[in-house]
Amino acid sequence: MTTLDLHQARANQADPFFRRAFGAAAALGGLLLLVITGYLITNTLPLWAIQSPFSFISTTAWITGIEQADGSTLEVYGAASALFGTAASSMIAVLFAAPIGILGAIYLVEFAPKRLAIPLTFLVELIAAIPSVVFGLWALGDLSIRLRDSIEWWIASTLGQVIPWLSEDPGSPAADSVFRAGFLLAIMILPMIVAVSREFLRSVPISLREGYIGMGATKWEAIRNVVVPTARVGLIGAVLLALGRAIGETIAVTMVIGNAEGIPTSLFLPGNSVAAKIASNLGEAGTEIQLSALVALGLALFLLSFVISLVVRISLRRFSAIKAVS
Amino acid sequence: MSRTAVTVREALLEPGARDLRRARTDWVMRRVVEFAAFLAVLPLFALVLFVTLRALPWLSPEFFFNNPLDTQPGIFNAIIGSLQMSALALLITGPIGIAGGVYLSEFASPRVSSIGEMVIDILLGIPSIVAGLFAFLLLVPILGFSGWAGSLALSVLTLPIVMRTTQEVMRLVPPSIREASLALGIPVWRTTLLVTLRTALPGVLTGLVLAASRALGETAPLIMTAKGTNASNFLDFGTTMNAMPLVIFRYAEAADDRTIGQAWATALVLMAIALALNVIVRWRTIDSRVA
Amino acid sequence: MLSVSSKKANRKGAASESAGEVQPHTQEAEVAVSGAVSLTNVEAFYGAFRAVNNVSLQVQPRAVTALIGPSGCGKSTLLRTINRMHETLPGARVQGSITLDGIDLYDREVDAVRVRRVIGMVFQKPNPFPTMSIYENVAAGLRLLGRTPKSELDGVVEASLRRAALWDEVKEKLKQPGTSLSGGQQQRLCIARAVAVQPRVLLMDEPCSALDPVATLKIEDLIRELAAEYTIVIVTHNMQQASRVSDSTAFFSMDENRAGYLVETGPTTTIFTAPKESLTESYVAGRFG
Repeated sequence: MTTLDLHQARANQADPFFRRAFGAAAALGGLLLLVITGYLITNTLPLWAIQSPFSFISTTAWITGIEQADGSTLEVYGAASALFGTAASSMIAVLFAAPIGILGAIYLVEFAPKRLAIPLTFLVELIAAIPSVVFGLWALGDLSIRLRDSIEWWIASTLGQVIPWLSEDPGSPAADSVFRAGFLLAIMILPMIVAVSREFLRSVPISLREGYIGMGATKWEAIRNVVVPTARVGLIGAVLLALGRAIGETIAVTMVIGNAEGIPTSLFLPGNSVAAKIASNLGEAGTEIQLSALVALGLALFLLSFVISLVVRISLRRFSAIKAVS
Repeated sequence: MSRTAVTVREALLEPGARDLRRARTDWVMRRVVEFAAFLAVLPLFALVLFVTLRALPWLSPEFFFNNPLDTQPGIFNAIIGSLQMSALALLITGPIGIAGGVYLSEFASPRVSSIGEMVIDILLGIPSIVAGLFAFLLLVPILGFSGWAGSLALSVLTLPIVMRTTQEVMRLVPPSIREASLALGIPVWRTTLLVTLRTALPGVLTGLVLAASRALGETAPLIMTAKGTNASNFLDFGTTMNAMPLVIFRYAEAADDRTIGQAWATALVLMAIALALNVIVRWRTIDSRVA
Repeated sequence: MLSVSSKKANRKGAASESAGEVQPHTQEAEVAVSGAVSLTNVEAFYGAFRAVNNVSLQVQPRAVTALIGPSGCGKSTLLRTINRMHETLPGARVQGSITLDGIDLYDREVDAVRVRRVIGMVFQKPNPFPTMSIYENVAAGLRLLGRTPKSELDGVVEASLRRAALWDEVKEKLKQPGTSLSGGQQQRLCIARAVAVQPRVLLMDEPCSALDPVATLKIEDLIRELAAEYTIVIVTHNMQQASRVSDSTAFFSMDENRAGYLVETGPTTTIFTAPKESLTESYVAGRFG
């Protein structure tokens, strides 16, 4: 009898009341998801009465109601600047965190002596336990982020001379900016990339490494030409997972990105993010339409994370070592 | 013979330029990955050190036991509020999450179980602000700005954690344990609860602790539900309730030093709790990871 | 049935050399006669545990030497000291002297990476690289050694696959992944990629134990062919295989401290028909192990 049959047989033999009760609990999860989706969608409807979804996504201005000369009210809700901020800060985060995370995971799996690897892995993952509001506060107090400031200065004074959106006025660097949000996000998602990458690197059989080294390859060559390519799908999944987390991160980003209107001309200037915008404006949303505009932002965020979850799940389906860490 | 044929002496004792380059690359990359691992650990130390240093001057008995409106303001209502709302969220989602996780692991057909996992994945990925937004839309009209709404908002985030952890640890229990129990004539439901679940219990508790840690640290779900308050409300869920993350968020950009200082002190407390919970829960895994 | 007679004919020239360095006249001649491995007082440790105790053995070039004995006698461990794979495990170390053509493999000047270029290995379970095609698997070692023009690479790949008796079966599908072959084919692919870098010595760690009998026989035939060019040392649990395939046999057993030691070594026919030690005689008669 296969395990599958046994499983089914056991399920069938179970007391139906028991099975249904527990099944209901499981179903509650699905119900919750449906309710959330439904509520989000229905609460955006008032907005679609006055504006099209396309315009919502493409407009940068966010005007909650200005009396016009002719007595009408101007209301335009554009998510574009918030979406830009979310996208840009998340990309910056992944740009920094992916290489460091994967290389760090390589160290932990391939080179670190066991007595070092275990505590180190433990410490890296511990960062994930720290609440994001603490991260935000830390980023605001600027003493221990000298590193960030010097990186900022370095980029602005080299690439920034050539590329306008990387430029910065050295006289008055902005305290809050898209870049700073991205940098903070990088620190916050790094543990996730390390943890998931580590799992996939470990899943590569030792025999493959030995086969390559046995032909006269150095350890690094084995990692680069055999281990990493074999684990590649998983590593990409790790980065996508982290990207999803970066996109949804609310509080730390809100505290650091600056809550500015419009799309900033430089990454070193204040910007906005979808989550931050919702958090800041929710208290002042007076009319139904204002509220539904914010819900539309929330829906956009929800859909983004939904899609990323699905993509990760599908592409990692063949790997049994899936860890859906949040 | 092709140029790859060399004498043994040459191959072993006279390395070519390329061989030396390969060896050097290997050495360089080893240092690179060591540095990367160092960078990965660095933020933890920097954060803990910095928060501790900034927070220490502001720690005092008044800080812990007074309320924000007292002459010597403190964050007592926030501490209590956090604990209460998180406890309630766990009380609600704990049993449901465990039951659901058990079902998905033990009784669901592969298809249902796969769908269930996907649902949990999506729930896990919900940005915390969306959970807060949802609670604001659905619960606040009914429950008002209250501790109830706050707890339920937190529940949205803790439910998938408990369910996922329970499902995973139940799956890890070897089939032989269930079969041994069933072979003794013990009914399925008793086997599942008293045998399988009991075996998986440490893992399930870990899930609950991790969920608790998450609930204590979340800000966004509470901003528009419990909202935070300066009043003290012990066990009064019906009105607005304060929480530590809210204190940090609200005090962070204040003008006066004392308020900012209290933000740091609160951050230290919150961070200490979160780290302590996670360390306790993972302590065993430090050894078992040796495999 | 032993094909010892043809082996003996080949070895006539090799027999006159000592285990030390040979002074040939041309580079080609030097390449042609090399491949003599000499182990002297070799001990291998995993941390504090001694797995191999004081083994001294001469491995004749251009011949097959089999290492036999019950499991746990350190045969694989010993094999892996020859190409310095043993030391890749944390805490593992080797004592004693192992030389190839008189050159100390563990000399401080000698990089382990280069040792493995001249001493190749085939593992128990076939391990083709899953992300590479059949062609790329064979070419993998060569690519490490430098930029080879495609025409030359093609030539070496074909020659190696022919030498591994695999060319005809895969010549139409070189671009397919290495893992798309059957077990026996995969192992021959591993042999092809090992010979592609032109080693002197081939170490084989129970190469047929994961294969079916038909594939096993194919590989045994292959081993006998390969012995014309390479020094082969093969660890095997299968006594019949050892008697079929090898010219010399070394029999190992375990001492009271669970360390492996060399009981007896000699020409295969002698070991199997008239061994000196009674322990050897018991083993080959199937009375234990």
